Amino acid sequence: MKTPKETAHAQTKHVDVAIIGGGPAGLAAAIQLYQNGIHNIIIIEREKQLGGILRQCIHDGFGLTRFSEMLSGPEYAQAFIDQVETLGVPYLVNASVVHFSPEKHLTVVTPSGLQTWDAKAVILTTGCRERTRGALGIPGDRPVGVFTAGVAQAYINLYNRMPAKEVVILGSGDIGLIMARRLTLEGAHVQAIFEIQPYPNGLPRNIQQCANDYHIPLYLNHTVTQIHGRNRLTGVTVSQVDKDRQPIAGTDKFYPCDTLILSVGLIPENELSREAGVALDPRTNGPVVNEFYQTSLDGVFVSGNVLQVHDLVDYVSLEAERMAGNVTAYLHKGALPESSIRIVAKNSIGYTVPQRISGQSDFLLSLRVSRPLTDCRISVCQDGKEIAFRKLKKAIPAQLIQLTVSTDKLSSGHDLEVSAHEN
Amino acid sequence: MKTELTCIICPNSCQLEIESEQTADGLPLIQNVCGAFCPKGVEYARQEILSPCRTISTSIAILHGELPLASVRLTNPIPKDRIFDAIAEIKSYVLEAPVSAGTILISQILGYNSDVIITKTVPRKSSN
Amino acid sequence: MKQLYDVIIIGGGVIGSAIARELSRYQLKICVLEKNLDVCYETSGRNSGVVHAGFAYDVGSLKAKLCVEGNRHMGVLAEELGFPFRRCGKILVGSTPEDRTSLESTLAQGMANGVSDLVFVDKERIRQLVPDVQGEFGLYSPSSGIVDPFLYTIAFAENASANGVEYFFNHEVTAISLNADQTYLVTTTKGTFYSRWIVNSSGLSCGKISDMLGITGYTVVGSKGDYIILDKRVGAMLPMPIYPVPNNFTMGIHLTNTIDGNVLVGPSGGTTMDMGDYSVPGDNIEHLSTCASRLWPHIQKKDYIRNYSGLLAKRLDENGVIQDFKIEIRDDIAPHAINLVGIESPGLTAAYAIARYAIALMREREKLEPNTSFNPIHRFPIRLRDLPLKEQAELIRENPDYGEVICRCEQVTKAEVLQAIHNPLGVHCVTGIKYRTRAMMGRCQGGYCQMRLTQIIEKETGEQATDLRYARADSQVFFGKVRQEAE
Repeated sequence: MKTPKETAHAQTKHVDVAIIGGGPAGLAAAIQLYQNGIHNIIIIEREKQLGGILRQCIHDGFGLTRFSEMLSGPEYAQAFIDQVETLGVPYLVNASVVHFSPEKHLTVVTPSGLQTWDAKAVILTTGCRERTRGALGIPGDRPVGVFTAGVAQAYINLYNRMPAKEVVILGSGDIGLIMARRLTLEGAHVQAIFEIQPYPNGLPRNIQQCANDYHIPLYLNHTVTQIHGRNRLTGVTVSQVDKDRQPIAGTDKFYPCDTLILSVGLIPENELSREAGVALDPRTNGPVVNEFYQTSLDGVFVSGNVLQVHDLVDYVSLEAERMAGNVTAYLHKGALPESSIRIVAKNSIGYTVPQRISGQSDFLLSLRVSRPLTDCRISVCQDGKEIAFRKLKKAIPAQLIQLTVSTDKLSSGHDLEVSAHEN
Repeated sequence: MKTELTCIICPNSCQLEIESEQTADGLPLIQNVCGAFCPKGVEYARQEILSPCRTISTSIAILHGELPLASVRLTNPIPKDRIFDAIAEIKSYVLEAPVSAGTILISQILGYNSDVIITKTVPRKSSN
Repeated sequence: MKQLYDVIIIGGGVIGSAIARELSRYQLKICVLEKNLDVCYETSGRNSGVVHAGFAYDVGSLKAKLCVEGNRHMGVLAEELGFPFRRCGKILVGSTPEDRTSLESTLAQGMANGVSDLVFVDKERIRQLVPDVQGEFGLYSPSSGIVDPFLYTIAFAENASANGVEYFFNHEVTAISLNADQTYLVTTTKGTFYSRWIVNSSGLSCGKISDMLGITGYTVVGSKGDYIILDKRVGAMLPMPIYPVPNNFTMGIHLTNTIDGNVLVGPSGGTTMDMGDYSVPGDNIEHLSTCASRLWPHIQKKDYIRNYSGLLAKRLDENGVIQDFKIEIRDDIAPHAINLVGIESPGLTAAYAIARYAIALMREREKLEPNTSFNPIHRFPIRLRDLPLKEQAELIRENPDYGEVICRCEQVTKAEVLQAIHNPLGVHCVTGIKYRTRAMMGRCQGGYCQMRLTQIIEKETGEQATDLRYARADSQVFFGKVRQEAE
């Protein structure tokens, strides 16, 4: 006879694949797996709806390559959610994974009970979090009114709350630019956008339609050096910076405002990966992976923003689908080829994904340059011989660059070196 | 006259160079557009010189829904200087859940060849 | 006729609330006047949470005596009041002959103060106690510990409240006068109060309130202390606080493991007369990191979660030398008024002992009848994450709101948020819920949960969007709704 305490702890559920995160990467992976005949899967999503960050990205720009349409984030997500519903892919919402062990054992907290899941393969598609004011260490007071761009976006687009009236934005990445427009359209006054680098971070199209269109000045080589206000923000001090990004004395200017929006970087959300002992690459803050998107833990795969921060969701879906293909192979064969060939980032390359390959199959190399380049050649070499390249008129760190590498030309198991040179 | 523009049609953000001439009736005559990766860019350039147009996204209030707002967007660009008028019109709509993405909220907003469509599906709040 | 209180306590921080709780053991009509919207906004909520052993103070001083007494009683208090406390010990480390001399005299001072388990240890032992610590020798204090300063203060306050003490928030005292019948008229920003006794436990305002009582002439300055908070990843590597060699004026920049698993680096800062200045200068953050890195190598910018600042009210003599606690009743100037001036470190540790000391002064002048219904026991709502898995499952079955995670970084559930909002003191501001649950205190700093949190607070309190306050009365969070017709 089971005691109430024993029945409360329900039996562990077993699946072939558990997908942690039901945003664009998780949804695309789930659908691909299902279409590959892998049906014993579960998507575990902590929000109350599927869709991930797309739910709050109500601007257009999504789906151009995939659907040949300029859709909003929610519409892009809905296309995948509709397929999940039609196919009958199992999923949980309002479910948080609180523990993830290297043995691929998950503990999930849901209002209908504490659940434990065992999976043959686990996919982490947990996206990113935003870099905070606290992490930057901007000096000054700590009033309310300093929000990361994503938080302000969620308040305005999901929670029906207006957190701003007079605004200064730090960071010219796409999220900051998008919020400049969104805030303006909802009646706030955005005074300026400040960017610490000597070049803007976001797409030129967004600078045009989010900043220039609304006469919001964008100042390069500037940063916020002090935050003022004991209760609600009263203003920020902005300074010009030199080539080492250090404030230049005497260039301080005070901007009275009640809101500072921070768009200063995304950090892949790898807390669960860390708990399970997945090896991370400090340059991406994402897991080290091979061309199969498998991490250092057998049977644990990643794709999307948790692996590397993407610019376009269309490429997130493609990456997730490629990964799902490999997960399928992993389930059928029990293991994937060993990946002992390292890919090393050299001259002007910030990082590469994957970081290791098997050398047995062609693969898509994703990378970012570490500084802006013009008229450059991205070169992949082994033993001094070039085996793949891509020429670009312009390359900036904010832009994700991809090229297919054919492994026909590999002559050894030695490192592949990736570098970028201007002509 | 040479004008430089960033095309906003797609993330490529092509840098366009437009050669135009002022005609007798005051309207610019576009002679050449270069830098566009696709025909949409050329069309964008012409339009931008004549009468800049934009699409925008915003939200409307939803009653009795799982969420308080549904996002909406324009299906086609409208003159840039009418954006705030369009927003004012859109804001006046309040719908009851359920609403579905794809539904047309306003046909031919402000008389332009552009509809306002709902872009988020909001189910009715289950009462329990 | 306005209600006459037996005791008005000015300042609801850890000292005021400890006094309130201890006074509620007697049949007295007591109220606390607190200028902020919660009990731990100033000194009580801005420190390292360290429970000191009592060796760092002059022999025979109140600081020493009351610290040792408070430290000894902390285990019992934590049992009664249900706040998190751990007697993890502490080490002080040094490398030079001067350091050695200093530590030896600290050891002697500690012994004289009654800290009998303090012991000099060698390099091998300090490395055993704290792996990777930099130093040649040290002092080990097994009776030192760490506490959650927010819950510690709130527990005193909630227990006082449960035993009949009334708390008035957003009531700043502006004037005090003595009536002919020897009762006090206390004027606040929200109305007047009458009382037979006054307690000045106003911390940073102690000089101001002392002046209002007519007890003038004290020099009180604010001693600023800035801190950096490091990620829990780093906290896992620090088993107990590491201090440099102290003097009797400052503890120095130290590293503290918090009871929730973070690391605090600090404090460092100068003196100020502006008792509301909590700004953290940029070069101070650098300075903290540099100094603390001399003690322990694991301080990296990528682990910074946040920084914050605190102020201690220090009483100085005419030469600027820091003085002992002043806990007095000046019968000639302000009869029936317990005046506490300069209650800085180790005030947190000594709070219970300070309260008993203050009440003893009162009992010399008035017979107090015991409150037979006094209940010393207080409990905070259960936290899901504190339970073993089997009990978590049972708890969620009983209350499904324990199955909805609101703050992912700290694993705070909806049930905890709801219970925190419906707290006995009626505190509704966002930071009030933050301190009670730890929501928003994790590495994402509310990036995931603050929207949910504010939504739940609005719903539970029925407040309008524009009424919601972040911390203080002027900290409006929202300017309104985006669409008025919707929720």
